[in-house]
Amino acid sequence: MLPPWWFAVPALLVYAVVVLYPTGTGIVYAFTDWTGIGDWSFVGFDNFTKLWDDDAARGSVVNTLLLTIAIVVVQNGVGLLLALGVHTHIKSRALLRVIFFAPAVVSPVMVAFLWKYVYNPKPGEGLNGLLGAIGLGSWRQDWLGDPDLALWSVAFMVVWQFAGYSMVIFLAGLESVPDNLHEAAMIDGAGRWQRFRHVTWPLLAPAVTVNVMLSTIGGLKLFDQVYAATNGGPGYASETLSTVLYKQAFVFGNYGYSTAIALVLALFVSAISLVQVQILRGREVTAG
Amino acid sequence: MTIDNLSRRGFLVLTGGAAAMAALTACGGSGSGDDSLRLVGVADQQKPLDELTKAYGKVKFNASYAPTDQVQTSVRTQLGAGNAPDIHVVFPGNGSAMSMAQIAKANLLADLSDQEWTKKIPDNFKPAFQSGGKTCFYSAGASVIGAIYNKKVFTDAGITAMPTTWPEFLAVCEKIKQSGKIPIALGAQTPWITQLITYALVPSTVYAKDPDFDKKMADGKASFATSGWADAFAMYLDLQKRGYFNDNPNGTTFEQQTSMVATGEAGMAIQVSAVLPDFRKAAKNADDLSMFPVPGGDTADSGWIPAGIVVGLGVSARSKKLDQAKAFIEFLGEQKNINAWAEAVACVPLVQDSSSKIDPALDSFLPFLKNDKAVPFMDQAWPNAEVQPAHFAAVQELLGGKTTIPEALKKLDDTYRKG
Repeated sequence: MLPPWWFAVPALLVYAVVVLYPTGTGIVYAFTDWTGIGDWSFVGFDNFTKLWDDDAARGSVVNTLLLTIAIVVVQNGVGLLLALGVHTHIKSRALLRVIFFAPAVVSPVMVAFLWKYVYNPKPGEGLNGLLGAIGLGSWRQDWLGDPDLALWSVAFMVVWQFAGYSMVIFLAGLESVPDNLHEAAMIDGAGRWQRFRHVTWPLLAPAVTVNVMLSTIGGLKLFDQVYAATNGGPGYASETLSTVLYKQAFVFGNYGYSTAIALVLALFVSAISLVQVQILRGREVTAG
Repeated sequence: MTIDNLSRRGFLVLTGGAAAMAALTACGGSGSGDDSLRLVGVADQQKPLDELTKAYGKVKFNASYAPTDQVQTSVRTQLGAGNAPDIHVVFPGNGSAMSMAQIAKANLLADLSDQEWTKKIPDNFKPAFQSGGKTCFYSAGASVIGAIYNKKVFTDAGITAMPTTWPEFLAVCEKIKQSGKIPIALGAQTPWITQLITYALVPSTVYAKDPDFDKKMADGKASFATSGWADAFAMYLDLQKRGYFNDNPNGTTFEQQTSMVATGEAGMAIQVSAVLPDFRKAAKNADDLSMFPVPGGDTADSGWIPAGIVVGLGVSARSKKLDQAKAFIEFLGEQKNINAWAEAVACVPLVQDSSSKIDPALDSFLPFLKNDKAVPFMDQAWPNAEVQPAHFAAVQELLGGKTTIPEALKKLDDTYRKG
């Protein structure tokens, strides 16, 4: 028997006050020139046309997409390989799972600060020091200070932090593949790669759906690591939609414009997620 | 009613009580129902304010300090929400989200014009303090931008006299480079550092030749692109071309820059005098460091320096303890307290008397201030909060080779015109 509907009222009230009301008023403010203090007036769609004309904002859309694609592909690829690796019978697999997952529980801002030390451009320190010590001195770079590299350095950092997270989800998917299917395939003479391609991979589809969706949404709205590591710089080289949004609101005081950017970002993320879910759900099959 | 036999009713009473208490404490936090004044400042202000709030004694303070960008966002949000601290940090003039002009425009700063000390504000600094003719901002004095240098590195490189012209400055840098040290440490990854070299040069390349430049910009009769700003950027990039900066300035932070000069790895850093205490803390011997003005002119007479009012305090117009807050500002305006604050942050006191102790490192700057060859930091005259970050980004892009000087100046002009 289901509990009465009014059991949900307190929770719904909290949700309405904390989520719905601010979202609603935010959508209204997106059409104003509100600066957070003082008077404001409606400006219609001006904020949205401004977004279209703003070079920094347009550049940040490209950066956001590139960052997201890099994160989705590499993080999930590495996560899958790690999951396949720890799904075997090696003795240290429990310890390895913990080690690989550990970075995901560290605060993203802390990770960014730590990696700023790793990315120190001085030849004898951090990553450059390591490369020099193993004879790859010519690969040394100004990881966060080179406008062409900054965005990818941040992407690498995010992948490092969350590959273990993807691994855990893939691991759950791998463990749900029935062993008898593997055995049947082996009896039929299938090699490792064939087993993966025809047995494991199709049944892993739900885990792929979850991972791709989470990493896409996370990538599109990525803020903490970018802001803490590069502040969107050098110049505008690593600005994402979220950093532009933050700066417009809290550095420049253009709350109205910033809310418009937030609205566009929210719609963008929703649209991409919906399309993704349709495509990915369609491929899911069950073992039975 | 033990935990074991807690009935449903007992459970609801407990959680209801807990929730009510949580709500009460949450409300109590922002309204400061007790007698203390809430004060929020930037990290630089902690040392002087710790001393002065203790010396004041008439009221208790609930003070907190944070880095500039955190304070800018959090206090501004509180101003918008109507629960701003009684006394909070305010930046002089205009040009940033927490600057005096921006907040005073929204009528959120209390009028301090009836206080004694406001009558002694020097004329050329008045624009930093006043909006619409009313003084609504307190500051203890002015800091200067110059070269914080390591005396040992200079003597080891054979430099005996400080440069007074731009060619002499380049020669000094060359000597340091030949002695195997980095001439100028530049931490351009930290955004606010990027502007300092431009600010050090623009007084000589722009204001020495055209003291009314700010007014002309505001009237639309001048622009960044057609002014000495182009020369300043060219000189900035020339330093990079000659190899006088550390490698990868865009990947180096303020902390690394400070450490390079303090430990003698680099000869100097172009910095604002307010951070001299930080450099001294990082050095083995605080006396190793001193300052000299960066000579941006071709002759010793044609150089001007940047001297800006240091970040100060304002009283929230909506404070429930307005009189007490204003009384504290009145206390800060007393000469001995202005002297105390100025000494703590190594700046030149707003008004000086015989007991004012000016840090010896600032001696070489005083003649410029006395002869009116000082210009407030350029952002204090800019009409909106976007020009300064655009300047930061422009310098990073120039250093990274991603843009040209004309393009960078055009971006600055476009952002200025947004009004």
